[in-house]
Amino acid sequence: MSAAIELRGITTRFGRQTIHDGIDLTIGRGELVAVIGGSGTGKSVLLREIVGLHRPDAGTVRLLGTDVWQAAGAELAAVRRRFGMMFQDGALFSSLTVAGNVAVPLRESGLVPESLVAPLVALRLAQAGLPADAGAKMPAQLSGGMRKRAAIARALALEPELLFLDEPTSGLDPITARAFDRLLEGLCEDLGITVVVVTHDLDTLMTIARRVVVLGGGHVVADGDLSTILASEDPWIREYFSSRTSRDRREDAEADGT
Amino acid sequence: MTDCRIGIEAGHVVMRLAGAWQLARLRQLDAALKACPAPGAEQGAGAPQVLDGSALDALDTAAALQLCGWLRARGADPATMPVRGFDPRFERVLRQVAAASGDQAAARPAALRPPIARLGVLAVSAGEMLHGHLSFLGFVIVETGRALVRPGRLRVSELVTQLSRTCVTAVPVVALVTALIGLVFAYLLGLQAEQYGANIFVVDGVALGMTREFSPLIVAVIVAGRSGASFAAQLGTMRLNEETDAIAVLGLSVAQVLVVPRVLALVLALPLLVFVGNLAGLAGAAVIASTMLDITPSTFLARLHDSLAPRHAIIGLVKAPVFALLIAVIGCRMGMSGSRDTRTIGINTTSTVVQSIVGVIVIDALFAVVLQEIGW
Repeated sequence: MSAAIELRGITTRFGRQTIHDGIDLTIGRGELVAVIGGSGTGKSVLLREIVGLHRPDAGTVRLLGTDVWQAAGAELAAVRRRFGMMFQDGALFSSLTVAGNVAVPLRESGLVPESLVAPLVALRLAQAGLPADAGAKMPAQLSGGMRKRAAIARALALEPELLFLDEPTSGLDPITARAFDRLLEGLCEDLGITVVVVTHDLDTLMTIARRVVVLGGGHVVADGDLSTILASEDPWIREYFSSRTSRDRREDAEADGT
Repeated sequence: MTDCRIGIEAGHVVMRLAGAWQLARLRQLDAALKACPAPGAEQGAGAPQVLDGSALDALDTAAALQLCGWLRARGADPATMPVRGFDPRFERVLRQVAAASGDQAAARPAALRPPIARLGVLAVSAGEMLHGHLSFLGFVIVETGRALVRPGRLRVSELVTQLSRTCVTAVPVVALVTALIGLVFAYLLGLQAEQYGANIFVVDGVALGMTREFSPLIVAVIVAGRSGASFAAQLGTMRLNEETDAIAVLGLSVAQVLVVPRVLALVLALPLLVFVGNLAGLAGAAVIASTMLDITPSTFLARLHDSLAPRHAIIGLVKAPVFALLIAVIGCRMGMSGSRDTRTIGINTTSTVVQSIVGVIVIDALFAVVLQEIGW
């Protein structure tokens, strides 16, 4: 079985600025990978290149064995059915209710009998941790956290093998954010899907990521499990992890002491 | 291989699942489940008591949901019924889906109101809309008065920017459209007038029609589509972006910063554009007159001078600021009202254009009746 994602020599330029300078990355099936990096290191752009929204200037992207940027329209559409993506602010269709949003991929795929659409929508909302009455609401009536859950429900609609999440916890309060982390963790365990998450949230990283990829200067600076990353000598990584609040560090010290 | 089969083993009704139970095969699974009651099984005795998943290759949540629905319809409870031979992952999927889909009170869409009630709701909301527009008009007049009493308050740079956007950049499209209207108008009038040898009266007709009616009306429609819509969309986006709140928190008046300059700019711009429209329309007519009707441009100008009473052109130019006030007030109010989401911006922008055009035509009709009565 081919790897879930295979990037070879990805190069991206905006004008004279080089964002990615030959990135190689392989992500196997069932992995939960977090991509981190400072602002402007092209994390979100990399995600857009993987899903086929932004064409890299050079390099190949293979997604579930298909070369995204060489694939014909029908082939690309077939691959796109096999992954779900959650955008930073949810990107819910503002003219549809939450239930309508989740039903869009189900109906458009043509795979789901109409009689099963409504129960499946209800199941997806429950999986995303939304109350049953949220389905009838318009996206504009939802709080930030609920909007993200609705976006997850839509991304999960077609049983994706791969899930992409762009900043899933940004703009959420810590309690909601941690609840969201647990939701993601539960979904990965239960459904066995590959998850790639772009995040700034240290706690998300500490809680859920099994593998961390650090972008910087157009390259993959570090790649490995959390302990490998924590042991890294890279100045940005050291600063990033030392930015945890002093309270966290005190707690860690206490935990070490006992 | 069949996806499911029911048989009796050791006194229990056992349902054997096989193959890939996945979303992509929901339709085949649907057919398989419908055909499932095993041949020879007695009516009512078909409720499975045990699920056997030893030949199952895959089970995802969508297929599990379908199975749960089928089992429940036959009186079995998928959350508690015994299973055997299941891959632990598949069993977990089945149990979780069974638990999550257990007590689903499917949300029913709200019932449609009867037509009379809908008409009532529509009338009330139209009345509220009109009331809102009128009070916003009053608000704009008060705020504009304040700005004019103390000219220091007036945002001159914003006014100039808006004037440039609504007036200067509109000149090409206004000139083109009114020239074409003048051309067509003169051509059609010419066809009739030629039959009586009354070519020269085409000038009278075009001059009166263009300056008094067509130019103000056409220009107002163009401006409603260009500037009215852009006011609603701009202000709506700024509100969505909390820019209007930022203005208020900085201690500035949203009305003074955003609304008054737009209204004033449009009220100044529309008469100027109508004048441009008059010139372009007459120029278009002059082209037809000289090529088709043997009226040289100098004859055209002389006849124009003799036949067109200034009051007609003045009436046209007087109507323009009234139209402008209507368009600007509707555009700004639609931008500043409604809920803060992208969908509302789209709806309000469309609504601005429709309301403005209807309003302009209604006011134009009022002008026609009133001016007729007072003998102008």
